[in-house]
Order: sequence, then C-alpha cells, then structure tokens
Amino acid sequence: MTDRRRVNGPVGATLPPVFLTEEVGGQAVDKPTRSRPAGQIRKLYLKNGVTPSASGSAFLEIESTSKPGVSGLKLSCTVHGPRSLPKSAPFSPHIILSAHVKYASFATKKRRGYIRDTTERDLSIHLETALRGAIIADRWPKSGVEIIVSIIEGDQDRETSAASGDEIWDTMNVLSGCVTVASAALADAGIDCVDTVAGGVSALVVGEDGSEAVVVDPVPSEHGRIAAACCVAYLPTREEVTNLWFKGNLDSSNGQWYTDLVQRGIQASLSANRVLVGSLTETARQTLATASS
Amino acid sequence: MSRHQEFRSVQSTLDEHYYDDDDYEEEEEELSAEDQAAMRQGVADVKAALGVEASKVTTKQIEEALYYYYYDVEKTVHYLLTKFIAPAPPKAAKTTQKAKPPGKHISCLSSRGAPRHLPGTSSAATVMMPSPHESLRLYSPIAIPQFGTATPATAMTRSSISAIFDHMPWGNVPSHRLTVFVEPERPRGGLMGGSGAAPKLTRMQQLAAARKKKVADKKPSSSEDAVDTTRQGIQTLSVEDQPKEKENQILNVSGGFGKRQKLSATQAAGRMPLAELSREERQQDGSSSQHDAMPPSAEQDSTAPEPAPELAPPSAFAQTLFGVGAHEPAPVTTRQFALPYMAYCPSLTDAFSKPSPDDVVLTAQAKAGKKTDAAASSKKKNVGVDAVAHDVKALKVDDAPLPKSKNLNVLSEYEKSKSKKTASFVVVGHVDAGKSTMMGRLLLDLGVVDQRTVDKLRKEAEKIGKSSFALAWVLDQRTEERARGVTIDIATNRFETDSTIFTILDAPGHRDFIPNMIAGASQADFAILVIDAGVGAFESGLKGQTREHSLLIRSMGVARVIVAVNKLDTVDWSKERFDEITHQVTGFLTATGFQSKNVSFVPVSGLTGDNLVRRATDPAASWYQGPTLVDELESSEPTTRALNKPLRMSISEVFKTMPSPTTVSGRIDAGSLQVGDALLVQPSGEKAYVKSMLVDEEPADWAVAGQNAILHLSNIDPIHLRVGDIICDPTHPIQCLDSFTLKALAFDFLMPMPVDVHRGRIHAAGTIEAIPAILDKVTGSVTKKKPKIVKPASVARLVVKLSTKLPLEAGQRVVLRSGGETVAAGLLE
Repeated sequence: MTDRRRVNGPVGATLPPVFLTEEVGGQAVDKPTRSRPAGQIRKLYLKNGVTPSASGSAFLEIESTSKPGVSGLKLSCTVHGPRSLPKSAPFSPHIILSAHVKYASFATKKRRGYIRDTTERDLSIHLETALRGAIIADRWPKSGVEIIVSIIEGDQDRETSAASGDEIWDTMNVLSGCVTVASAALADAGIDCVDTVAGGVSALVVGEDGSEAVVVDPVPSEHGRIAAACCVAYLPTREEVTNLWFKGNLDSSNGQWYTDLVQRGIQASLSANRVLVGSLTETARQTLATASS
Repeated sequence: MSRHQEFRSVQSTLDEHYYDDDDYEEEEEELSAEDQAAMRQGVADVKAALGVEASKVTTKQIEEALYYYYYDVEKTVHYLLTKFIAPAPPKAAKTTQKAKPPGKHISCLSSRGAPRHLPGTSSAATVMMPSPHESLRLYSPIAIPQFGTATPATAMTRSSISAIFDHMPWGNVPSHRLTVFVEPERPRGGLMGGSGAAPKLTRMQQLAAARKKKVADKKPSSSEDAVDTTRQGIQTLSVEDQPKEKENQILNVSGGFGKRQKLSATQAAGRMPLAELSREERQQDGSSSQHDAMPPSAEQDSTAPEPAPELAPPSAFAQTLFGVGAHEPAPVTTRQFALPYMAYCPSLTDAFSKPSPDDVVLTAQAKAGKKTDAAASSKKKNVGVDAVAHDVKALKVDDAPLPKSKNLNVLSEYEKSKSKKTASFVVVGHVDAGKSTMMGRLLLDLGVVDQRTVDKLRKEAEKIGKSSFALAWVLDQRTEERARGVTIDIATNRFETDSTIFTILDAPGHRDFIPNMIAGASQADFAILVIDAGVGAFESGLKGQTREHSLLIRSMGVARVIVAVNKLDTVDWSKERFDEITHQVTGFLTATGFQSKNVSFVPVSGLTGDNLVRRATDPAASWYQGPTLVDELESSEPTTRALNKPLRMSISEVFKTMPSPTTVSGRIDAGSLQVGDALLVQPSGEKAYVKSMLVDEEPADWAVAGQNAILHLSNIDPIHLRVGDIICDPTHPIQCLDSFTLKALAFDFLMPMPVDVHRGRIHAAGTIEAIPAILDKVTGSVTKKKPKIVKPASVARLVVKLSTKLPLEAGQRVVLRSGGETVAAGLLE
C-alpha cells in the first residue's frame, strides 16, 4: 500500500533539476583547505532557551569554513522533563533517559525520511550513552526525561560531502554537536548533572601527499582522506569519558594512533565545553538580572 | 559487428565460436560507414590523449582497443597505458611497510548501520578484472581468431596458455591487482528473538565467556608492575604541573583509568593514560611527547593558539530565531505599568455623535438627487442615534442570562392581547360513567378529532370486542388503558370555541387512580361531574367515586360544577329519571359545599353526542330546552387568576425536544413569565432560563397564570427536573417544607397516623403528628383544643410531618389519603 498519511509526491516520474557544477563548466573547483590550526575547532554559536514551551532547550550552530557566513551544522534540542512515568511503566529507582535524534527532512543534501532511519537511531543511542554518564539519575526516581535533538542542517558541506561519500564522518561531527547541545539543554531544564558534557571529534587525516596528521573537528571536504575518526563525550572536571565512538581503518600494530585520536578528541571536547559553559553562564546571568530587577 | 553479436560471442559456447568464425571475418571487413568514421575520430582522439606516448602503440592496437571499448576513448587510453605503454612495474619491494592487513574495521562502541566500507579502500575492494582480451581467453583456451589479422598482442596470446596470466607477475603481485575480500556480515550470535538489545547468550557461549574472562583476569597480574610504575610516574608529573587540582581527585581519576586500561596496557605497555595526556596537551607541555610516531612539530604548533574563544556570531537563521539582539542581554523589563485608559482622549466620546465622513458623502450624493428626503432621513437617524445613546447610558450591567429577555411588561401585554379566554376543566365521575367517551365525542363533534381517526379506533376496538370504547380511546391512548378499558392517568386535550380555549383534563374514575385525579383536579378551573343515569349505576356511583370526586374537587378549590347526566338514551330520555338525579345530586353537592348557583345540570348522551355540541335529535328528549354542555362551558365564569403573585408552575411533563433537551410542560398556577426569565426549580433548587416557550402550541414570548405552557429551558440538567416539581420565581422562591400545619376537612376519622400527602402531581408519605384543635366549620374559631380524634365532616387543624421535603406554601390545597381512601383535604396555613 502506498503511504496515505502524508502528502506524497506526484504519481508520475519527475526529473529532478540537475545543476551544472563547476567541473562541467570547465573551471577546476578549488577544493577547500583547512585554514585553522590542527588543534582548533570551528567556532560555535550556542544559545539556551530556543523553545520556551520546553523544560529546557538549546540551539547550536557550527560555522562552516568552506563558505564563510554560511552555517554548516544547526541543531536544536528540547528537553521535556523530568516528569512522572506513565502508570503502565514499571518502577524505576532512577530517571529514565530517552534521547531522540532526528534529521529534518531537508537537513542533508539527500532528503531524509520522516521515520527515523538507522543512522538516527544510532545517533540516539550514542547520545543517550553520553548523557547517562552526566546525569545524576538517582535524584529523580520514577521519572523520565525526553531529549529531542532536531538536526536542522546536518551537512558539513552540501556541495561535496554527498559526492565524496563521507557522510559517516559528518555523522560523527553531528554526534559531537548533539552531545554539546543536549548538555546545554539539560542544564537549562535544571536537571542535576555531575558536569557539563561536551562532544569533540578528532580524525586521522591523510593528505594529498600521503602525510598523516591528527586534527580536531575535521571537515571531510577539507582533507584529502580521513582514515579514522573518534568522537568523544567528555566530562572535564571529572575527567571522564562518557561515550567514545571510534571508527576507521587503522594499522592495528601501531596503537599510538588510538591514544592520539582519543586525546585529541578530548581536547576538542574541552574547547566545546568552554563555549558551553560560557553560554550557560550568560543564560544564568540574564536570568538573575531579570529576577532581581 | 553489432553489440548483440558481441554479447553472444562472450556468452556462447566454444563450438559456436568456431561456426561463427566466418561471419566474424566477413563482418570485420565491412565496417559500416558510421563505424569507420567513429573509428577514425577515436584513433585521433586517443592519439591526442596519449601525446608523446602515442608512438609506443600502433594504430592497429588503438583501433582494436577502441573497437573493443566501443569507441570509448577514455577507457581505451587507460587500457593502452596499462597494457603497452607502462606495464605494471614490480613495485612490491617499495611497499613493505605498507603491507598491513587492510580492511580491519574498528569501532569501539556500536556502529550499527554505518557503512562498513571506507572510502579509501573501496577502489581496492573491487576485484581486479583481467583485461577484455583475457576475459575472452578464459572462455576459450584456444585463441579466437576474432580480429582476423594477427596483431602483435593477439599473436602473443595465441602462442601459449601462460598468456592467461599475462601482466600478472608470478609473485610480487602489484598491490593494485590484489583483491580485497570483504568479510561478509556474520549473523549476530546468541539466541533468536528479542529486541535490538544485547543478544542473549546460549549456555555454551556463557561458559566460553566465563572462561575467557578468567583468562583475562589472570593475565594482567603479570604486567601489574609495569602499570604501577607508569601510574606513579603520572602522579608525580601531574602534581607538579597542576597545583590547582586536588591530589585525591587525581588519584581517583588515574585509578579509574588504570583499571580500565589494564587490558590495553598489556598491548601497549608504558603508554600514558588518556586523561593525563590531554591535561598535558592543555598545558602546552612539549616535553610530554612520549609518542614518537606523531610528527611533533605540526602538532605542537597547532595547539598553541588553541585557547582563542570559539564563539561564533549567530547566523542569519539564528538571528531570526532569537531576534535581532540575540547576543545582547535582553532588555530589563520595567516593573511600572501604565494605568489603563491613560491614553484615552475624552474628545473621542463624541467622535460618533457627528455623522461620519462616509455619511457626509452619502448625504451629499443623495442631496444631489432628492434633496429633502435625504436630509429628513439623516436627521431622523441622528435622533434615533441619540435616543439609543441615551438608552445605552441608562443600561446597567448585570449577570444577564444566556437567552435574551425582551423585558416585556407581561401583564400589560396580556391585557392588550385580547386573546380568547382560557379555561381548563376536569372531568370527574364514577368509574364507567362514560367520561372518556363523552369527551371523545365532544372532540369529534367539535372537529378536533376527525372521523377517520375515530373509525380507525373503532376498528381496533372491535378487534378486542370493545367497540363502544372507540370514542374513549381518543383520550385513553396507553395500551394498558385500552386493554383494561379504564382511564389510568390524566389525559389532556385542547379545543376552542368562539370565545374560549378549553383544556380538557380527563381524570380517571377508578378508585385506584385517585392520586392522578387529584393531580388533574388541582389544575382545573371548574369541573364536569359525569353521572351515569342508568338504573343502579347512579346509586352505586353516589356511594362510590361520584361522592369522593366531588369532595375532592371541592377541597381542591373548584367552585363550579357542571353535572352531565349521561347515558340518558338508555332510559329513553326519561325526564323523571333526570329530575330524580338532579334532586339527589343537588342535595349532595350543597352538602359538600358547592353553592347551588354554581351547579348546573345537562342531560346528555356521550355515545351519541346529544346535547353535547348539538341539541338532541331524539323527540323523547325534546323536553329539555336548556343550554348544551358546550354552552354551559362557555357561560362558565372564568375564575380570577393570580396574575400579580410570584410565579408558580407545576411541571406535569418533562421531555426532550429539538430546541432544548430539557423541555417541561405544565400549567402556570400563579404569576407570569417570559422568554429569558430566570427560573428556580424546587425542590432541586437549580436555576434555569427560559430559552423559548410555547403557549397553546404556538410560540410565544410570555405566559400568564391559567395558561398551559411548554417551556424550553437552558442551563439545567434534566436530572434536576421531575414531574411535580414547582418552577418559581428565584426572587420569591417557594419553600421546601417537611412539616406544615393545615386546616383540613375530615372525611374520615383522623388521629395521629400515617397518611399520604397529595399536592397536585406530587405526593409523599407523612404522618399526622398532632391535632392542635378542632375548628368551627363556618367561623373557623377553635371549638376544642387537642382532641384525640377528629370525626368525619369536621374541620380540624393538623400538623403533618413529611418524610421528604416538598415545595409547599400557604394557601395551597393538600389532600391526605390513607389506605387508598381520601381521609382529609385542606388548606395550608
């Protein structure tokens, strides 16, 4: 049966518009190159209170370096709760965390469906793991909290990533953003956490000339090839990693790379955490200012 | 050679190749014109693409390759390059270090759904296909004379079978020709079923896991020392460098990591825990680089500018989301609130007193046409506007009910209306005196009921052998009433004469249904007492319900009685019989308390309709020249209505209609009401509003006492409405009493005893609690105090206590019954 619940496309075949790329036009496209140092993450914009109706919410943007002024990643997170579990749910001595990550259908170059696909479910599980380590779950027995992250814009670079087939590395960047924004939203909702958790990504990149280097916050289109990447969710004051996602093709004999990648991931996470703390401080300051006046 | 033949040549068997050889030869000679042109163009292109290298290949080779690739220049060039110009060099020696097993995928945490292929390895993953020639040769060990003339390439391949592995060095296979075997996805282990959670282990797997764990636990002990030494080293390092951090915290951290790192430490002994490394990184401590595999210069340089703020300005999207000044602190909200209407300009009040600009234009336009009319109308309009404005000022806001009241002066409306008089009468009499039949006949003769209906009823009545009951069935509509042939409950019907609208209340005559008769009598202005003139029937009636009914209607306050001496046709219209009955009944009625001027007698025949509407046709009845029954009804003086008293209306029916789910009907006993009035329903004490009403089955705006009204109520739940409830004015509500005193006329011996108290439709159980006094019948003075017993036909003051509260008030008539007999009736005090 066809999908009757939504407005579907036209029945007949349609021709999607094909836009001429620069390559066809004859000019060689200049591949974006990484302009910032290997240890520096891209600039973030983080703001709490994007959704007033939710218990807590936050909005995160990562600027894309390939085209200045155009934001690459946009995430919006809402936290609902803590609220009591439904009567049907079994007793739980701690808070039940449920994370939902959903790409907007227009978030990536290739349109996403309305139903959560495997990538989104995967991201949800990772996010849940990352946050579970941060929340003091015993404070809220018999209750649940829902964390919903909407990826409004998910492509790092709409022009190249789909073509070069490196969405998987984008997914890592998305996860690190999800962790950061969800942590901000949790803090906004006033749910007790041991620390703010922020995500960071590091990657082992292989340049055009075969040189290998570990960079933080990789943009796949800026590097020749990414051999391996690692996404870390890190609690800075406790110095604990709550979630670690390692992916890639590495020489197993040389364990050095693993340590290095994780270490760089932590470094990226620390940088993101600084922004996160700054945003939360700002929010707290504003709240205090409005309350006192 | 066409494409499909080429396809066939690959697919077909060896024999076919032999047979097809000739064809091939022939076709080779005769290339079509287009093909030749394409070939020429292709050769030129390939040569251009090859450039200097073009000299290394012959034109024949190019043509052959082009032909094979179907003039695909790019592929041809690639083929030529790899095959002839630069055959794969033996470069295995160069990549000794890189000969690591690729295709090993690592994911520390679950990475379900993520593609297993890495982009870098994907090209190598495809199985290296031999060149097109080789593929053909795989099918046919004997060289196929496909291209006719012996080219150097084909000649070479034809020579030996080892040519299959041409360009495939024996040993030292170049890496680009190596295939990569992708490990097929294994089914996840464990038992079947369940969700996506961790798979359940089988018993065997559990055992294996336990054994593995045991081994793993033993292992680290061997390298425990190494771990300890590193840990100590770390601690010294960190303490020195980080005076801010507390020592115990560090211990915790490194301890935690130490535990987790036990396994990895065995593999990479002497490596630092991650947290420590990261901390060092933050400090930009160059000396900490124990890992020499990293290019140190690049890394250390890059970390240097790291603490720069990572804050980005909001994008256009974010700015829209948070407003323009999103990154600035929100403006402090002021706590001062302006008083309302501060900006209100008093000159606005008379803004509408003048004609609006539109009006001015319209007036001017109208003036151009017909000058006088427009001016006059506008003036008139202004006057009207002023009047309305004045009225609006006079209005005061109150909690207006939902339906809008027209605020009529009902009494003046009633006087103005000059409608017909309304009167209701109750028909009483002994059982089987012919009350219902007489009323059915009356309605038939007056045209309220048509003959067809009566005929139909007669047919139905004949079926059960009661053809004489047909007329009675006009009013007796219940099935059990028809089956038993007696009236059980009050039947109401309506007819009108030239001057009056009458409401018939046909009361049951049977003694068992006296309460219903009381209900009917309480709504009546006057009564028709039907007396059976048949021999023996009159006498039994006088002892039976004729007597009780006349007592009851008198005590219910009915003053006027028309005695219809019925069934005179059965005694041949005997004047003697009529006179005898007249004599006896007059005496009895005067004794009961009726004034003789209010009692009139009509000899009638209910079955035939003589003297009801028309005069009797029987010559034997010619002795009677007095008025007919209808004449008597019309001449009856309408009783004065209690129009100015507060509203009282007893509900006789509650039902659902389209306009309102709570519709009540009943007779207004006192006062008046109009649409939009607020009402109070007693004893429930609920308020209701009159949405609309029907008086005499016509929509009306108001109703007064004496009229039967159907009220569509709103804002009330049907459970608060019951038959017998009193609807009253909320400002003068009727009281709900459970104990009252009444002045009663005793029909039987009275003593403190349980009685049924009847008041209109409602009745409740009660007891006579006390008898304070016996009163004089005429003067009402006390003749005896505190009697033990009250004799029949004496008047006494009684105190009655009720089991439930009833809406009662002084001046109402109440009937007391006991054991199925009326024992007393009287007025509430």
